[in-house]
Amino acid sequence: MRALVIDDSRTMRRIVTRILEPLGFEVAEAADGQQALDLLVGGLEVDLACVDWNMPVMDGLTFVTQVRANREWRGITLMMVTTESEQGQIVRALAAGAHEYLVKPFTPLEFEEKLALLGLLPVGGAR
Amino acid sequence: MSIVQVSGEGQRRTFDGSQVQSIAEQVFSAMIDDDPSALVLWAGVFPALDDPLEAWVDLTGPWTGRVALTTERATAHDLSRALLGMSPDEPVDDGDVVDAFGEVANVVGGNVKTLLTEVGRLGLPQVAPSAPPMAGNVLHELRMAWRGRPLNIVVTAAE
Repeated sequence: MRALVIDDSRTMRRIVTRILEPLGFEVAEAADGQQALDLLVGGLEVDLACVDWNMPVMDGLTFVTQVRANREWRGITLMMVTTESEQGQIVRALAAGAHEYLVKPFTPLEFEEKLALLGLLPVGGAR
Repeated sequence: MSIVQVSGEGQRRTFDGSQVQSIAEQVFSAMIDDDPSALVLWAGVFPALDDPLEAWVDLTGPWTGRVALTTERATAHDLSRALLGMSPDEPVDDGDVVDAFGEVANVVGGNVKTLLTEVGRLGLPQVAPSAPPMAGNVLHELRMAWRGRPLNIVVTAAE
């Protein structure tokens, strides 16, 4: 499994990577939506993208919309990982094509539970 | 406990300051310490901070204001190590501290935003020895101890 972690905070990218790698994911990182799109356009193939909402250059909602507009990327599972926790924002993200939504702060266990819901826990990956 | 009415364009909410403490405890417990007792209310006289570092996020939209965390630089370094899963004696550079402490403010601020407004926008986190002044009223100030060291959290409503 391959994951793309998109967050302008490298601290948060490290935290998410620290959860994903022991579960067997190969992780690539991007600091904003545009950087992430560039990686996908450049041929990076991922099963999962963990997407922050508030980022400079291109925000997470725009990234999700762009990914969903491209049929080549329909296999990518999109999970928002963000501090935006209002119901309206969650609805907007899901309507734009996000599959799941995880509000910061989260524990590693809560993160893994979301992956399990998405059917993305590699065999032997669950704690 | 501070309970005040906050209002913006077309909306009015009751802001319960005690919820800020609950948010801070959740953030620190989930992201930094497994031990919820690591972050508690400060007991006694809150000290003047030596070499302070402030991390803040501004909220704009129907409600405008700021959520800011201030602590001593040395504490911000330890906070960053803890957040990044580093050992206590591992060197952490200033860039990591700015990013990590800013992310703590971002997560606390994002959750405080839900207490204040449905549709406001959360700015990107910033970190500096002190935030630029904001004309307004302090809605809530929370004086806490993280691992026994002072940490101040202030929610300000802009005028």
